[in-house]
Amino acid sequence: MRMGRRLGLLLLAFAAAWGSPALAYDRAQIAAQACFGAAGLSEAAATLTAGAASATSEDAAWAATLTGALLDKTIRCGAGASTIESPSGSVDAATLAKAAPADGPAPVLSLKNRPLVETARAAATLFAGATAGERAAALRALERRAASLPPDLFETAAAREPDAGLKEQILGVGQSALLNSPDVAKRIAAIERIAAQPSRRAETQIAALKRDPAYGKEAAFAAAVDAGLTSIDRWLRVSSVANTLYNGLSFASILFMAAVGLAIIFGLMGVINLAQGEFIMLGAYVTYAVQEALRAVAPGLLEWYLILAIPVVFLVVAAVGVALEATLVRRLYTRPLMTLLATWAVSLLIVNLVRVGVGTQNLQFVTPSWLAGGKLLVGDFIVTWNRLFAIVFAGVTLVATWAVLKRTRLGLNIRAVTQNRAMAGCIGVPTRRVDMMAFGLGSGLAGLAGLALCPIYNVNPQMGSNFVIDSFMVVVLGGVGTLAGTVVAALGVGQINVLIEPLYGAVAAKVIVLLMIVGFLQWRPEGLYAVKGRRK
Amino acid sequence: MMAPKRSLLARAADDRMVVAVALALAATAAVVVVGGLSGYRVNTIGQLACFALLALALDLIWGYAGILSLGHGLFFAVGGYVVGMHLLERSVAETGVTPDIVQFMGWKALPGWWGPLESFPVALAAAMGVSFAVAFVFGWASFRSRVSGVYFAIITQALVYVAMLLMFRNDTGFGGNNGMTGFQVVFGVPIQDPAVTKGLAVASVLALLAALVGCRLLMIGRFGRLLVATRDDEVRLRSLGYETLRLKLKVWCLSAVLAALAGLLYVPQVGIINPRVLSPELSIEIAVWCAIGGRGRLAGAIIGAVLVNAVKFALSASLPELWPFVLAALVIVVALIFPNGLLDLGKWKPTLLSRARALEPRDATP
Repeated sequence: MRMGRRLGLLLLAFAAAWGSPALAYDRAQIAAQACFGAAGLSEAAATLTAGAASATSEDAAWAATLTGALLDKTIRCGAGASTIESPSGSVDAATLAKAAPADGPAPVLSLKNRPLVETARAAATLFAGATAGERAAALRALERRAASLPPDLFETAAAREPDAGLKEQILGVGQSALLNSPDVAKRIAAIERIAAQPSRRAETQIAALKRDPAYGKEAAFAAAVDAGLTSIDRWLRVSSVANTLYNGLSFASILFMAAVGLAIIFGLMGVINLAQGEFIMLGAYVTYAVQEALRAVAPGLLEWYLILAIPVVFLVVAAVGVALEATLVRRLYTRPLMTLLATWAVSLLIVNLVRVGVGTQNLQFVTPSWLAGGKLLVGDFIVTWNRLFAIVFAGVTLVATWAVLKRTRLGLNIRAVTQNRAMAGCIGVPTRRVDMMAFGLGSGLAGLAGLALCPIYNVNPQMGSNFVIDSFMVVVLGGVGTLAGTVVAALGVGQINVLIEPLYGAVAAKVIVLLMIVGFLQWRPEGLYAVKGRRK
Repeated sequence: MMAPKRSLLARAADDRMVVAVALALAATAAVVVVGGLSGYRVNTIGQLACFALLALALDLIWGYAGILSLGHGLFFAVGGYVVGMHLLERSVAETGVTPDIVQFMGWKALPGWWGPLESFPVALAAAMGVSFAVAFVFGWASFRSRVSGVYFAIITQALVYVAMLLMFRNDTGFGGNNGMTGFQVVFGVPIQDPAVTKGLAVASVLALLAALVGCRLLMIGRFGRLLVATRDDEVRLRSLGYETLRLKLKVWCLSAVLAALAGLLYVPQVGIINPRVLSPELSIEIAVWCAIGGRGRLAGAIIGAVLVNAVKFALSASLPELWPFVLAALVIVVALIFPNGLLDLGKWKPTLLSRARALEPRDATP
């Protein structure tokens, strides 16, 4: 009789595993089985796992309780019904109604049975877990054993899952499970579905199937694997190019902001400010000061320090620029090369003042939550928010600068003095004041470049020198005093840098950029966009 | 009424500063030879002479032709690296000691193509030849496309910066960031020998003296006049039918070769050459020496280089943090108050400030 019952149970378990009969658990039987030695326990776990997908939510909750009790050893087996000790007293293991505790010990989980019971609990929790966190943890537990689980388990769970992100994850795991389904058609479908979401992980998953026996036997399966691999590989290549271009774009954005001030000032006054790199550094340091001030005064606003710092940085660095112009540059206007040396001395001064005053270590910036992470677009191509911030910021700066140059009186004056200083002076443009304002504008923009690179690059007293030569190259390449030239040249130099870097290294990239610029100047000595005027 | 044509030497002696500096150099060489100075002093004098020669080279192009190079460290390094290779070859040949560079570069021995540099004439010719070639190609490309003024300064700065990045890499094959060191012998004499220190210092001072006299003679002649004309109004000179590209290229290459000579004399005296000499800062400092001493008079460059570096040596020993501030202050003061550098001091009176500015040398026309 006992034998017969066990046989029947086994059959039932098998039936449950192979088909998926939409029937509720026979709770009493399963609870009894759990107390029926190692074999019974594994049958009970198999039944619960197999039935998880078709169980009602009540049953799922019960299954989670029972398996939890088995794992926590709070179940009591006895001659009669087994019971579970819960915080509110002991309950019947089958009905969860109040009951007198059974008199026996908890069943011992063998090494083989423990994972089975854990899987059964995870399967039940995936359906009955109260919070998304619990369900996600259950999914992670199931992921390792996805191959041995009934394929419809994940599909059903995903269909019922309210949390969109988790739903995606459940579907993904389900497809991995289907990869090993006995049905070849399902496997091929799963391969196609996985290949549709290309990533390094998908690639290794599908590449592993090449060692599958079916790869040699089933032509259709082999073809699906190969096609999947080809498609993933293509997408990964696309995404790596996209990554490179994206990084180049963010570098170019910083470069543009660093160079646009130089270009305006150079076009206007014919002088180069060698302290431009230090203005970038000052911008980053002022950003840090704003962050620390907020931390001390208004911790609630710390999240938004990058935005709040924008006007502060611009005004402070612009003021430094105006001061530099008024004290030094203005007095050397007939000697642009002396200006070069004098501004270099200023840069030396700023670097060493910062070094002595603040220290040489890298500054620690808080990453606001809205800048952390990014979005996976395709394959391995992640749009990181910090780089996107720099790109958008540069775009906004570009528009604002363009508006200032084209739509304001100051911009009109700047353009007039750039074209013909003497004539502009004759008709009453205050050229000296325009110089000062333009110097302030250019310096402020460099400061903003410093702000934009805080979330991306290291900030320390020496950082300016990393950007200064590149931004000069942009000015030389783009032509002086033109916004369009600066944009195009910054994009060019930025992209060339990141395109060559992975192939030959950063140094080679710099060498090639320099050689290209020297070669380019043979062809267009005035830069890309020369301001029309008399050749001097 | 025409004054009778005076001899070249008589005219060369017109600039009393040049005469004074030349005499001072001769006296220095004599003092070093006679002795009585400590080895450290002698070595310092030798190094200062090398820096002065470097500044003189820059003054030729900046002071006379109005071309500012912010990358002259490149040519200095060419001379330095070539002589470094020569000294290593000699050390291996004469002492058999394997230099450090062989270990950290992972070589078995020095590269075969360094072999010919073992003879000094070949090394000298190579240093001059390489610096001349680099200067010629770069200068031709730049002057041909009429890159000048600030543009040229920026591109030379980028050039030296890129060269530094290249040399910092080990696979460039010149010792990477460690550079070359561990020279054992100079012309067969152990490098620690006081005679070597003395000989190198005297050679440096005499090379500087020769360069000063030679450049002075060159600059008061027709070539020098044309250079100054190029600086002051290149367009007019071109309209008069002069090929300014050639003028500029000649003085540019001469300057590069002198800078390489300075590097060649400098490296044996400090016993090391590494990519730091290629840092843009050093190259800018050369221009600063010229500016502080006074441009376009040859003597000014030498005075500036010697003064600035003497202060630097003194401060580096006692207050190294202070030096950048002193240097920056010097440059700003010179830029604002002494347009002609310290040579202005002789005729400087506070009331004449405005007049001094009216006399200041202008940069080349853009």
